[in-house]
This record gives sequence, structure tokens and C-alpha cells, in this order.
Amino acid sequence: MQRDIRHQWFFNHSPETVWKYLTDPDLIAQWLMENDFKPVVGHKFQFITKPKVKVKFDGVVYCEVLEVKPYTKLSYSWKGGSKGQITLDSIVIWTLTARDGGTDLVLEHKGFKGMKNYLAYFFMNIGWKAKVMKRFSLLIGS
Amino acid sequence: MKTQQESLDPFYALADPSRRYILQLLSKDSLSINALAENFEMSRPAVSKHIKILNSAGFISIEDIGRERYCVLNQEGFAEVQEWINFFDAFWKKKLRKLEKLLNEKTKKK
Repeated sequence: MQRDIRHQWFFNHSPETVWKYLTDPDLIAQWLMENDFKPVVGHKFQFITKPKVKVKFDGVVYCEVLEVKPYTKLSYSWKGGSKGQITLDSIVIWTLTARDGGTDLVLEHKGFKGMKNYLAYFFMNIGWKAKVMKRFSLLIGS
Repeated sequence: MKTQQESLDPFYALADPSRRYILQLLSKDSLSINALAENFEMSRPAVSKHIKILNSAGFISIEDIGRERYCVLNQEGFAEVQEWINFFDAFWKKKLRKLEKLLNEKTKKK
């Protein structure tokens, strides 16, 4: 069962170049969404896109910059919902690693709140093995 | 009456075998407190106590239907979160492909 999202991509470009595309608002807008991002910890910003009625998303992602380590790591909170009701509460983390003259970029989108209900569902489906429970509690606690 | 508004640690709620059994029963169907109590040797107040704990941990909700109080398993929150995860999984794949294209075009121009 999926708890969070992780994608790893290799780019034929230096971490400095990839970093620019993650932190310059005009460049971000070209591939991700319109935004007022600034690479400053504590800066609050928004991404604006088309609403997606199916998942009750009004098209605004509310974010706050959590970590900025130039050319290495960037993270921000990622909240959204519909009509001012936040149903999505999560964190996005970008990690850049230089490799073979290019960059390994790892995107993690995790910390989705609402895990409590996950637990109910999870145990409902797999039964009550103590081992699994222990492992899952470690996961949740991390 | 004391309020039990603060939410309980889900692991505490799950630590007890009777409470896990209650959740298992409710995963098949919603049940009244009386119907649930029939599955246990313990007294009805003891069953009620377990139900209260499961309720404040967010696993179940209690609804009054007629004269009976029914226990219902909460799966809504789960489904909502899963929908977001599915949505953004596809979203990021698409966006990263776009970023790759953009970066490649940029180097070709130079």
C-alpha cells in the first residue's frame, strides 16, 4: 500500500542548473505552476493551477518553505483543498545529487495527514500480526 | 460528564485485542452497541468503554439511529488521502517529464 510518493530522475545538467529550475519563480512556472516562490526559509507562497473537482482541489496549493540547502535540498509544505477547507496536508522534498556530469533529482511527496484512518484500513486488510504492527508503528513514528 | 475530545493515540487504541476485534466486526458491517456486546463475554459497560476509546482515536463514529446507537468504521479519511496520493503521483510524473524536456531544449539552443 502506498503511503508517499517518490520519483527519481536523472538530468543531463549540473545541480546548479536543475536548482535554478526549482527555485526561480519564472522557471518554475514553465514546467510546474504559476507561483510566488522565494528560496527563503519561512516564506509563504502559493502555486496556482486549474481546479480538479474530482479530488476536491480548487487549484491553489498553499506552501511554506521549510528548508533551503543550495544545490542540494529544498523542501516546502504543500496544503490544499476546496473552498478554504484544507484536506491535503503534506510535504514536498527535493534532493539533488551530482552524478556522471548530471544530476540525480529525487522528489518525495509525503507526510500526508490522515494516517490515523490509514491505520484502520491497513489493519483491516492484513489482519493483526504483531510483527507488522511493530514495523508500521516505526514507520508512522518516523 | 467528562469530555473525551482530545484524540487518542491510535496505537494505544489498537493495543487491546477486544478493540481490534470490534474493528474487525465493524469492517464487515455497522453494528449497534448491543449487537457488538453480544460478541463478547464482558459486560456491556465494558464494551462501551472500548467503543469510546476507538471513537476518540478516530477509528469509528457513533450514530444514533432510532433508539439504538450504531458504531460505524471511519474509512472516509482514508479514501480521501489515497485519492490525493494517486492524483499527485501522476501529477509529478507529468511535471518531471516536462522539466526534462524544458532542460533538454535549453541545451540544444546553446
